[in-house]
Amino acid sequence: MKEEVEKCVNCGFCESVCPTLPASGFRSIIGARGRVDLGKAFIAEMNDSGVSDLKISESFYSCLDCFACLQVCPAGVNAGKVSGIGREIAAISGQHGLEKPAARMIVEATMKFLNPLGVREKCAGWAEGLAFNNDSETLLYTGNMYQLMAYSASLGKLKMRLGEKITDFMARIISRHPAAVRMSGMAVDRDMRKQMDTFLRDIYSLLVSAGLKFNYLGEDEPYPGTFIYDLGYKDKFLEYGRQVISIFRKHNVRTIITVDPHTYDILNVQYRKYFNDFDFRVIHYLDYLREVRFAATREKVTLHEPCHFTLRENNYSVPSELVSSLAQLTYPDRSGKRTMCCGGPDELLFGEISGKISEERFNQLKATGAERIITACPICYANLRKDGTVVDISQFLMERLKADEVPEPSS
Amino acid sequence: MNIADRLRLVHGSTVLTGREEIIPYMRDASYFGGKLPDAVIIPGSTREVAEIMGICNDMKVQVTTRGGGSSLTGSSVPMSGGVVISMARMNRIIETKPSDSYVVAEPGVRLDDLNRELGKIGFFYPPDPASSMAATVGGTISTNAGGLRAATYGTTKEWILGLEVVLPTGEVIETGGRTLKRSKGYDLTALMAGSEGTLGIITRAILKIWPLPEATGRIMAYFREIAPAGRAIAELKTQGMVPYIAEFMDRLSLESIRTAKGLEFPDEAQYLLLVDFASTVESLDRVMDRAAGIVRTFDPVSIVTTRSREEMEKMYEARKGLYSSALSQRDSPDEYVVIGDVVVPASGLPDTLEGIREAAKRFSLKVVLFGHIGDGNVHANIFADLSREEVRKNVDGFQMSIAGIALDHGGSVSAEHGIGLEKKELLKLEFEKRGSSFTMDLMRKIKSSFDPNDILNRGKIFD
Repeated sequence: MKEEVEKCVNCGFCESVCPTLPASGFRSIIGARGRVDLGKAFIAEMNDSGVSDLKISESFYSCLDCFACLQVCPAGVNAGKVSGIGREIAAISGQHGLEKPAARMIVEATMKFLNPLGVREKCAGWAEGLAFNNDSETLLYTGNMYQLMAYSASLGKLKMRLGEKITDFMARIISRHPAAVRMSGMAVDRDMRKQMDTFLRDIYSLLVSAGLKFNYLGEDEPYPGTFIYDLGYKDKFLEYGRQVISIFRKHNVRTIITVDPHTYDILNVQYRKYFNDFDFRVIHYLDYLREVRFAATREKVTLHEPCHFTLRENNYSVPSELVSSLAQLTYPDRSGKRTMCCGGPDELLFGEISGKISEERFNQLKATGAERIITACPICYANLRKDGTVVDISQFLMERLKADEVPEPSS
Repeated sequence: MNIADRLRLVHGSTVLTGREEIIPYMRDASYFGGKLPDAVIIPGSTREVAEIMGICNDMKVQVTTRGGGSSLTGSSVPMSGGVVISMARMNRIIETKPSDSYVVAEPGVRLDDLNRELGKIGFFYPPDPASSMAATVGGTISTNAGGLRAATYGTTKEWILGLEVVLPTGEVIETGGRTLKRSKGYDLTALMAGSEGTLGIITRAILKIWPLPEATGRIMAYFREIAPAGRAIAELKTQGMVPYIAEFMDRLSLESIRTAKGLEFPDEAQYLLLVDFASTVESLDRVMDRAAGIVRTFDPVSIVTTRSREEMEKMYEARKGLYSSALSQRDSPDEYVVIGDVVVPASGLPDTLEGIREAAKRFSLKVVLFGHIGDGNVHANIFADLSREEVRKNVDGFQMSIAGIALDHGGSVSAEHGIGLEKKELLKLEFEKRGSSFTMDLMRKIKSSFDPNDILNRGKIFD
């Protein structure tokens, strides 16, 4: 942390793009510069006396890890990285007041069930009746991400209703008895599940139309461990990732097709960084669709570019390339390296902040005047779905695949 | 009842008192560390600001106002606890009226956000300090910020038509108005520009706006010495060619932006002269050709012209981030950056720079030089480990020395960063040197007329 914060001269550029700052009512510690300042103060106190009673939890856990701050910092300071280290400190300390009980709960449940809510079996439901090639070394890996959205939205609402104290209390109990987390399986948003299952089936059909044969692990498919890593539990992540890799090995996987930006990012970046033997080829499904013949449309659409594609190391721009080749694409004011997070990563721990960010982003997208808003991430979809104009890119592409006529997009 | 409790009775959750909550408000972008305030409050309206000021005045509690927290002289650093008022929530653009050349904005609007909105209708607000991404309308009025375009458009004070201000006693006043002309006694609008939060709290500003130039182009000329670059600018201006932007950077600056942005430069270059011209689409080529011809006569190492918006934007961003990115050139992580800011009549700039270079050697300091060559404004980024007494003395000596050099050349000790905590002695020196010490007394009298209990940003500009 010291190495990161000491590059900062406190110019404040990062604050101007940090989504959590305005959403918190402009409390500095819920913004990028405040997080770096808090990091500096924490280090100074630890250096001086070896202890600090600063309550760093809210500041660091509320960071969305969108890395918008890094894009504008002239000195290359990443407040997201500072927050990540801050969460690691909280995780290692294990103290009440530093560690978020809900974070511990999620991690313990994931370690036990290979799924943050213990609903791994239910996550395979979308594939019922679909044919897969069990001998293929190419794996369609959903990482349970689309499926989990049906639960996170309901759980977020439940948490808001119960309040911080009760949910923290319940989270502590569940951390000690992770099996209890499976009760959350009851908190399913059925409409959302149906929608997410449709998206996954569309993705399946799109890949089939590209001539691809692939396997799917069904109820054996593990969650990739993104929460464990993001919440700062590095040791647990190393243990967990090892299990995930073993499952891939057991099924003779060589190529992993991911369907969402978070899984694509964690496999390509963190798994490669922390596991020397992670030698799998990781491809996003959209890469296979470049040669598929889609029908163009004159529809005016806008695209919400996900942070984990646009602001991270991968810098993956295929969603923009595909959509702009098929429709009249208008970007919102904040796009490209200035794209804004949908607020999703804060949904469970900081529902109110998450809600304000997603409202703001939705309004920015609507302001383009586009007929529809296209997302390319299940978390973004779940957070931005505030009216019927929001669609996942899989749905849009499926429509273009099925369309008969191929009109030239007008300029 | 303490001040936090009293404020909380009226403003509840917008009052912050937790230690971790208020730590970030101890600092701005300068190297000064302030004291932990007793409370931070984030009001959402003029009425709330007036109520807060009424309470603080009653209890005689110190108040420091904070905009984008991008001051480089410690203007927004609280030095004696008290209350910090963050204007961040008051960030609406209230009215835009291009037919009458103005926009009405709240103080917390960031300059880049304002210009993004104005750009949609083909207008802009010209003041563009390098900090414009973070800096706010209120903060830049308070420091009379300048920026890259000041060579053509002047500093912030030229662009304020009127203000709404909450006085330390809680009264709300209006100054100026929505018209481009007025003559109605003392110009209190101008008085607020550069007052650094010592007279009142700006809660609304009526700002003059201007149509965006139709087209712009850039000349980037690299030189071995600064003198011919300075003479090139002087010649351009003598021939009636006013640059839209005219910047210079020394070798270390170029190395900083190469590290930060990957922008390359010729090996033999010691200085970059960057000059933009704005014109109509039809005439820009002619203007650029003529200007490049003039610059070429001063024998640059190389010269490049471009009209590529993308290329120009990349360099513009790199220049604006130079204060922060120059940190890559420090020799030790214990070193901090102290930024100098002096101004001389533009023609005196080459001699001034030579003097500054010699002073840096004399005080054994590593210094990065860059600035606005079009209006004679030099910035000197000094790398210094301020925990060492002898280094602090050298930095103070160097700052005093470059102030003296600027004054000898008919300039001033502060061009666009204000006085804050950093330049109080230098300001005194400037008035003494000009035989105008009474000006300081007058400033103190003005301050006590506005702020009889001396609660607003005490200890800034003067003691």
